[in-house]
Amino acid sequence: MAIIERPTETLVPATATPAYVTPDSGLGVFRRPVQSEGWKSWLFTVDHKKLGIMYGVTAMAFFVIGGIEAMLIRAQLAGPDGTILSADKYNQMFTMHATTMVFLFVMPMAAAFANYMVPLQVGARDVAFPRINAFGFWAFLFGGIFINTSWILGGAADGGWFMYAPNSSVTFSPTNGIDFWVLGLLITGIASQTGAINLIVTALNMRAPGMSLMRMPIFTWMILVVQFLLVFAIPVITVALVLLMFQRQFDATFFSVEFGADPLLWQHLFWIFGHPEVYILVLPAFGIVSEVLPVFSKKPLFGYPFVVFSGAAIGFVGWGVWAHHMFASGLGPVSVAVFSVATMAIAVPTGVKIINWTLTMWGGKLRFTTAMLFSVGLIIQFTIGGLSGVTHSVAPSDTQQTDTYYIVAHFHYVLFGGAILGIFSGLYYWWPKVFGKLLNETLGKGNFWLMIIGMNLTFGPMHIIGLQGQPRRMYRWTEARAGEGFFNLGFWNLVSSIGTLILAIGVLLFFINVWVSHRKGTVASPLDPWDARSLEWLTSNPPKEHNFDRLPTVHALDEVFHRKYEDVGTDGHHEYKQVATTEELLAIEEANADAHIHMPSPSYWPIVLAFSLPILAYGVIYNLVLMVVGAAILVLGMYGWALEPSTAPETDFDQSPPSGGSELEVASHG
Amino acid sequence: MTFHERTNVQTSEPMTSVASVSSDQISRSRRPVLALGAVIGAGVVASSCAAQAPQDTWSPAGENAQMIHNLQWPIFAVAGIVGLIVFAAVGYAVWKFRDRGQPIPEQTHGKPALEIALTILPAVILAVIAVPTVSTIFALADTTDTECVVNVTGQQWWWEYDYPIADDGSICGFMPTAGNASPIITSGQMVLPVGTKVLVRGTSRDVIHSYWIPRLNGKKDMVPGRVHYLRLETDTPGIYAGQCTEFCGLSHANMRMEVIALERADFQKWLDNELKPYQAPETAAAKAGETVFIQQCARCHQINGLVDPINGELVVSAPDQFVWSGAAPNLTNLMMRNTFAGATWDLLSPQCRARVWEAAPEEFGERFLEGVTPECLNTVDLREWLRNSPAKKPMYADAEMLEVTDGKTRGMPYLALSEDQIDLLIAYLLERK
Repeated sequence: MAIIERPTETLVPATATPAYVTPDSGLGVFRRPVQSEGWKSWLFTVDHKKLGIMYGVTAMAFFVIGGIEAMLIRAQLAGPDGTILSADKYNQMFTMHATTMVFLFVMPMAAAFANYMVPLQVGARDVAFPRINAFGFWAFLFGGIFINTSWILGGAADGGWFMYAPNSSVTFSPTNGIDFWVLGLLITGIASQTGAINLIVTALNMRAPGMSLMRMPIFTWMILVVQFLLVFAIPVITVALVLLMFQRQFDATFFSVEFGADPLLWQHLFWIFGHPEVYILVLPAFGIVSEVLPVFSKKPLFGYPFVVFSGAAIGFVGWGVWAHHMFASGLGPVSVAVFSVATMAIAVPTGVKIINWTLTMWGGKLRFTTAMLFSVGLIIQFTIGGLSGVTHSVAPSDTQQTDTYYIVAHFHYVLFGGAILGIFSGLYYWWPKVFGKLLNETLGKGNFWLMIIGMNLTFGPMHIIGLQGQPRRMYRWTEARAGEGFFNLGFWNLVSSIGTLILAIGVLLFFINVWVSHRKGTVASPLDPWDARSLEWLTSNPPKEHNFDRLPTVHALDEVFHRKYEDVGTDGHHEYKQVATTEELLAIEEANADAHIHMPSPSYWPIVLAFSLPILAYGVIYNLVLMVVGAAILVLGMYGWALEPSTAPETDFDQSPPSGGSELEVASHG
Repeated sequence: MTFHERTNVQTSEPMTSVASVSSDQISRSRRPVLALGAVIGAGVVASSCAAQAPQDTWSPAGENAQMIHNLQWPIFAVAGIVGLIVFAAVGYAVWKFRDRGQPIPEQTHGKPALEIALTILPAVILAVIAVPTVSTIFALADTTDTECVVNVTGQQWWWEYDYPIADDGSICGFMPTAGNASPIITSGQMVLPVGTKVLVRGTSRDVIHSYWIPRLNGKKDMVPGRVHYLRLETDTPGIYAGQCTEFCGLSHANMRMEVIALERADFQKWLDNELKPYQAPETAAAKAGETVFIQQCARCHQINGLVDPINGELVVSAPDQFVWSGAAPNLTNLMMRNTFAGATWDLLSPQCRARVWEAAPEEFGERFLEGVTPECLNTVDLREWLRNSPAKKPMYADAEMLEVTDGKTRGMPYLALSEDQIDLLIAYLLERK
């Protein structure tokens, strides 16, 4: 039974200032929705959990799209002189594969986990700004759909996800594809920026009593670092995108060499964003793994403060390495040397994480559930990616490797082996928490092994292909330069393409697993299936709409573990005895439920406001009249947002208030 | 009209240069190729056979690539060893500490001393790597010792080479035997003397391209509006393949290049041949082909010294009026090259190609300088190209797409040549060497 906030007569004094809108003073249409079930409850929700699920479902849909794009790329390259895609379509395909996977899958998937888990992990009832949270999701969804409509509107962007100038100007890419890309990423950038501010405030301001920063769960810590990265990185790409939009739409000359522009400007702007972006993609997965490994090792995270500070260190040093993407761009030896050494330096905090994960397992009591397998898989696969990264932090070596398949291999080990394995670990780990049902472990292990075999077959050979000199982004390769014997490029290209099929079957097993687990008749998950350690397990599965019956008071890192177990050992000998089950802990919480539970009301306006953005963007591309329409919706959305009442009037509810005496406060923010 | 430009070049010791680094100075014994294995991660595979792809980054054939190689293989080895240690540690932990009913372990956040030690360890390893890295970066960037200059210009989707004349009248450190020199302009294949340090001065006419001959040096982006330098040196005669590695639009995959390394005596022959006066066509077909060339090709493609028999005037191309980048390959001695259209297709038939590409170093120069003979011509690809070039190599030559470039094409347009015209053109071009 969802809680929708209802007004009480006593709460708003007659002397209230006009800024404090009461249900009665609101205009007729400016009301709050009240549905707690059905599609409207999803459309107008501001609940972080619903939004988390929506982020996840949408991101998964884009994952499938990006995966199909990847399979088409590999099909084209399976043999010499591939003809499945034209050169033009191929260029669009790899541009959109990267764009989709980075901006529309991994980033929003991290947002899904962060939205759902951060308030639960810090013991809060929602995020700090629930309506902005909803707006962020809708902006992401509309932005993602907007970019993809370019496929049917004259072709997608064809300049690569790095979109180097001047190849991105109208002269060299006359279709609207890059315009869709630019405007779509501006929209999803708004989503990321608002989401980041929201989560920073949530993590910093809304922690439960007793939860100092050094008692904050490691996943929340990594998410916090990522949000700071986003807050500073998104403006940079926004500037770059706006420059490019003006270049393409309004004949600006920011990247026009004939007017004296230097094309390297774009590269610097892009990579100052682009390198922190790598950590934006991978740190959430690091956070997930750092939650999963301790739970299934029955040990706290080894060196928790080191993991926290190495995450923060990555967050800082990550800003000082962008030019390692530009070692071949003619920077000059001093810059190259500085960025080369800085890049080596960032390997240290990354290595610290690998060491800490390994030592977390060391001396533990390891249970190899699917979630654990994905986390251990991440350690191995990410290490391969990290070490190949060290080989091209060495700039001279990088000039042989950059823009070849060796780099493609490297960042897929980092992003697939890092971010995506982490995401799947999180999916298996938190699935019972979110949906109240366990995913099937047998299918899950099949899912894991097929993905591991598939990814190594797909990306492993790319090391060889790249070191044998096959550049990236080529719509075809030729037998004449393929070599012979063990290093034959044709053989390894074929292996790589076959690998994608295995990988795809592995991912398909995940969807089958979801379907199997959610058929009618599947049993509900136990309350605490993994014997977990952090606060999100101190509520029901799925969590109640208000998360916690009473806001928990935190005494330790791994609060839930320490409530369940007590150290009864003596003389330096440790022996842990279970003193309570999670069911008992939850019963205590329910018995002591807070009398005043404050929950924000749903709102019509986030989706309206977000909807104006793609309209404006279509207007930029096609017709200024559309921009006027978009602007009108935008203004309407902003007015609605500002002027809607804090709650719906009593008459809008079709049932009597729930008994039990929950006296709900009026939301003063949201 | 770059043809008439005369570029002043300052080369250090232009005439005294001799091969300063002989091939045996460069260690040939160390050729370990470390490939990150498909499944298990890292493994060292010794490879000494010549079966690698021609763009293998682990088979250096010149001093610069050798410097990179001397740096990269120990780093690959270190990375491989670190990887194996991590895998062993994780594997051991996974096996040793699996749940066999042992009690719940101590709830400790670890040992700071161990933690600090394990933080310092990778830092030390990286510091050790950093020292040779930085010194190699500066060594590679030094171009003060170069003896020959070649200007390299990228455009969609081919490379142009321009051998400027130095103040003393030499080209690439060589004096033309006949005396009067003019700059040599060619494309696709860059011909260099072995054992000579060559300064490549590169730029672009449109988007960013990247010049990369893996066996000679790392890659360098060629950026419009900027001039970037790259030092190349070969130690053995032969063909060294490369490819544009910065995504440059539609036909990025079809933008290749080769470096042709010749013994110094052979290079002198090549140089003199390039500078010889225009050779009038000999056969009747070639004469008719010259007319077709003037009518159909010469507005973009320059052939030096070509005179229009109708009006007796020098035929001067004006690609800047028809092509967005403002340039088209100079075809003066086309048949002295053995690839065409951005070095993407062979001018040599498959049998003849192997004879040149796989020639032993001592035979290579002679075979290359034979050029493309009529019996060795790869007529299949050349005919397809002349019949419909944009169908063979994706280019922006379609009028509908050219609004944004003022009607100028990017790449060679479809010319609607008849089969007869193609025959005549080929007869004419076969004599261009």
